[in-house]
Parts: sequence; C-alpha cells; structure tokens
Amino acid sequence: MRRALAALALMALAAPVQAQRQPGDVARDLPAAVAEDRISVGSDYRGSSITVFGFNPDRRGRGDIVVVVRGPDKPAMLMRKRRVFGLWVNGDRVAFASAPTFFAVLSTQSLNIIAPAAAIRQYELDPAASAELASETPRGSTGADYRAALVRLRRAQGLYQEQVGITNDDTQGAITLYRGGLFRAVVRLPANAPIDEYQVDTYLFRDRRLISSQRTPVNIARIGIERNIHDLANQYPVLYGILTVLFALGVGWGAAALFRRS
Amino acid sequence: MIYLPIAEMPVNVLLILLVSGGVGFVSGLVGVGGGFIVTPSLIILGIPAPVAVATGLSQVAATSFSGIMTRTRRRSVDWRMGMLLSIGGMIGISLGVWLFQRLLGLGQLDLVISLLYLLLLASVGWLMLAESYAVMRGRTHRGVSILRRPARTIAHRLPFRMLFPRSGLYISVIPPLTLGFGIGALAALMGVGGGFILIPAMIYLLRMPTNVVVGTSLFQTLIVTSLLVIVQAKATATIDLVLAALLMLGGVVGAQLGARLGARLKGEQIRALLGAILIAASIKFLADVVVPPQETYVLGGAW
Repeated sequence: MRRALAALALMALAAPVQAQRQPGDVARDLPAAVAEDRISVGSDYRGSSITVFGFNPDRRGRGDIVVVVRGPDKPAMLMRKRRVFGLWVNGDRVAFASAPTFFAVLSTQSLNIIAPAAAIRQYELDPAASAELASETPRGSTGADYRAALVRLRRAQGLYQEQVGITNDDTQGAITLYRGGLFRAVVRLPANAPIDEYQVDTYLFRDRRLISSQRTPVNIARIGIERNIHDLANQYPVLYGILTVLFALGVGWGAAALFRRS
Repeated sequence: MIYLPIAEMPVNVLLILLVSGGVGFVSGLVGVGGGFIVTPSLIILGIPAPVAVATGLSQVAATSFSGIMTRTRRRSVDWRMGMLLSIGGMIGISLGVWLFQRLLGLGQLDLVISLLYLLLLASVGWLMLAESYAVMRGRTHRGVSILRRPARTIAHRLPFRMLFPRSGLYISVIPPLTLGFGIGALAALMGVGGGFILIPAMIYLLRMPTNVVVGTSLFQTLIVTSLLVIVQAKATATIDLVLAALLMLGGVVGAQLGARLGARLKGEQIRALLGAILIAASIKFLADVVVPPQETYVLGGAW
C-alpha cells in the first residue's frame, strides 16, 4: 500500500514528462498504479484481490473513473442444450475466437452515462464487447444471444464482474473516492480465475470523452510446490505420469505391508 | 483448504479425505476396486469431470497394487491370461484416450461421462439390490442356476487357441483380447478399473477357476490404470497429483478398515446398502440430463 502510494506520487510528478501523445491514441498518463505487482498462488490459495490506486488530476474533481482488470484472451466455446429423446444434451456449438478469461469493470457511474457506445466498444470496456465470435450462430439465435450467455455464465462463475458506483466506506468491489482526487478500486479475484498475466487499465472520462488512461500489468504466478507440480505436469508430462504411478505403487505397497504385519 | 495445481481450484482437505476414506471403506467392505465410486463422488463434489476420471485412476492403481501384494503369495494370478488381457487393454486405452480427447475438444465429454455413469451406477446398483434381496429371501443359488456355467463357451470354439496352465484352460485368445480392449476403453472414459465386468466375464465366459480370477483381474487393472495415468498425463494433462495423493491416503486407510469390518458383517446387507447408494447417485446423474435446465447455454472446453 505504501509502496503503491509512493509509486503514485512519483508518477504524478513524472506525468507531464511522460505525456507522449501518439496520433489517434489517448495519452497513457493517468496517474494510477496497482498495489500488488505479483500475486502468488501457493497451496493455501483461495483467491485474492487486486487493488488499484489512482489520482484524478482535475482540480475540481470532474470526470469519471473506469477500472478494467482483464485476464488473457483465450478461445471459448458455448453450447446450447437441446432435447434429444427426452435427454438434455449439448448441441448448437458456437466458438469464440477469443474472449477474456477474466474481466472486471468498475466505474463511478453507469458506463452508458460515462462514454458513448462506440467508445465502450473501442476500448473494450464491457466483456461482451471483447468477445469475438468465430463461427456462425445456429438458426433461431443471434450472436448477441451467445455473447450475453457467455457473459452470464462467466459472471455466475465470478469471472466477469461489473460494479457501478462509488463508495465512501471502503466497500470491496466498488471505487472509493478520497479527498484531493485520490481514488481506489478493489477487484476480487476468485480462486477459479486463471493463473496468468493480467492487465489493469484505468481510464478517466470527462464529458463522454476519454481524457487519459494507464495500463499496469499484474502477474499471478504459482509458487512453491504448486509451481513445481504444474511445471512438471506441463513440461515433462510422461515423467509426471510415471511419478504419479510410482507414488500410487508406493502407497499400495505400504498399505499391503501394514496389512500383512497387523 | 488446499489448492489443487491441475484442477485449479481449492478443495477442503478433510472433505476429500472423508470421501475417499468412505469410498475406500465401502470398497474394502464389499471387495470392489472403488473406481466406479470414487470418480462420480469427485464429480458430485465439483471436481471437473475430466480431472476426476483421470485422477481417480491413480487411486485404483494404488488399491489394485495393494491387493496384488497380498495375493501373489498365494500364487493366484494367471500371468499369461493377465498379460493377454493387458495387451487388449492397451489397445482399448488408445481408443479410449483418443475418444476422451475428441469429446473434450467437442465439449461433450462431461455429458458422455454423466450418461455412462448413469447407466453404470443404475445397472450395477440394481443388480446388487436384486441379488442381495434374493439372498435375504433365502434363494441363494438362483443367480447361479440362471447363469449355469456352460461346459464349453464361445471362448473354446474360436481359433488361435492357447494353453493357460495356471487356469488349466485351452481357449482362444480372441475373447481375452476383446475383453481387455473393452475394459481399457471404459477405464479411459470413466476412470474405472473394470473389475466388476472382468470378474464375471472371467468366470462365465472364459471359465477360469475362481481362485485365480480376482488376482488376475487385479493384475490387469494395475497394468491398465498405471498405463492410463501416464498416457492421460501426456495426452490431456488432467492428472492432479495433489488430489491423487489425498485420494490414495484416504482410500487405503478406508479400505483397511472396511476389509476388517466386512469380515464380521453379512455380505448381502452391505451389498444391498451399496446398491441403494449407487442408485441414489445415478438419480443425480439422471437429473442432470432429464430436468429442464434453467440455463440453456453451457460453457465447453473449460477443461
């Protein structure tokens, strides 16, 4: 927390220097930072949270803040259940070329008030805008149905989160505004959120226009035995399989030996 | 709570130990391998079905090895028959794992596993209930009279005959190979050892003497499940070592306790109870596919 605030102070100072405007791009100079630059997944992991700190440079505090925490994009598949001989089976497959594996968006007001629809699409501020359909949708349904279903299902898993509004009492999952333009947003990462590289984007909108933004990477990584097991299973799968079998044989042998003695 | 590195979810250690211990207890009590109880239990607990199937196998491997260790001294394994069944099993594994991967890619694997378990649990549960009911009513030998062992089965008539000295048989190699094949495929798709099919088939189809049946079945189960664990680790990366360790620890302790208590209890009552539990579990799988879903869309390929 202290480290993040220090980083923030530095950034606030350096902000005017950093402002390198690229044509058609909004300056990435919003002073914002993430308290955790690395989240460790050990054997006691039960989920975590990402805390974003930032500073709205507008003296009168005008403008709206949008914080997007996003996991890597991966292909996804969605099926609609269909009744066949009285059984509900998975039919009507639709593939998504890419969809964010984790997507949390926090905003001080409803996104439709903050930004025009075109900007929401352009900056991918809502999860449905970020999912790319790769295949034709079956008859009787539209791409929007499948997009909405994807968002609904992932929201139920806690992987997609949308939070609107501000709070003054540090409620988790909303943006807290402090005096002097400081803001803080806390995003809860459930245990089933993918273990990967995340990126945190913070946007400042004013008068339905994007003023500035900031991007900070956050790395979620396995540590200790979790990491060893996962690496072994992925890099040397045959060795991993043999080890599992040897372990099983050891346990079986041990049990038999114990059984014999008693 | 412990975080599972491959299933990528936290689970309650005590809950898994209790469940695997309970499953081990029941399998020790009744004398079955336990694969067909452990995998559906994991699925019901919320472990992704592909991980449950592949990881449950490692526990079956541990149980069958422990069984073999206590049996080989009694020279009760027909190694030649076991090898032949295992060769069939290896071919079955290749087909089973290929199907597993294909269904995983199509997003239909969970559904197929549910359907297979629905059939398996309902039929095995029903058979156990019916059999123990018959025994309790005092008609002990009715089952045997229906399945009266024929002097010569199809195994004796097919070509490519071979001598099996330990079993005292001279039969075709085709039925054991086919049997092994089917069980290998089933093991890959369902995470079961297959003893509940293999043992009756050995007695009634191959006409093996009963004293070598259990040992030989355990031997084939050990070979098939060990190989499958390695193949699944390579092909689908669905083996969770942490979960496997928990299952084995709970399973072997439970099995020991179960075997001791089982020696003192009436077999038919235990089997009736297990049959009832299996039917109850199958109803859960039935509900999954019959009850109209509230959410008609499903995510596929998450695992």
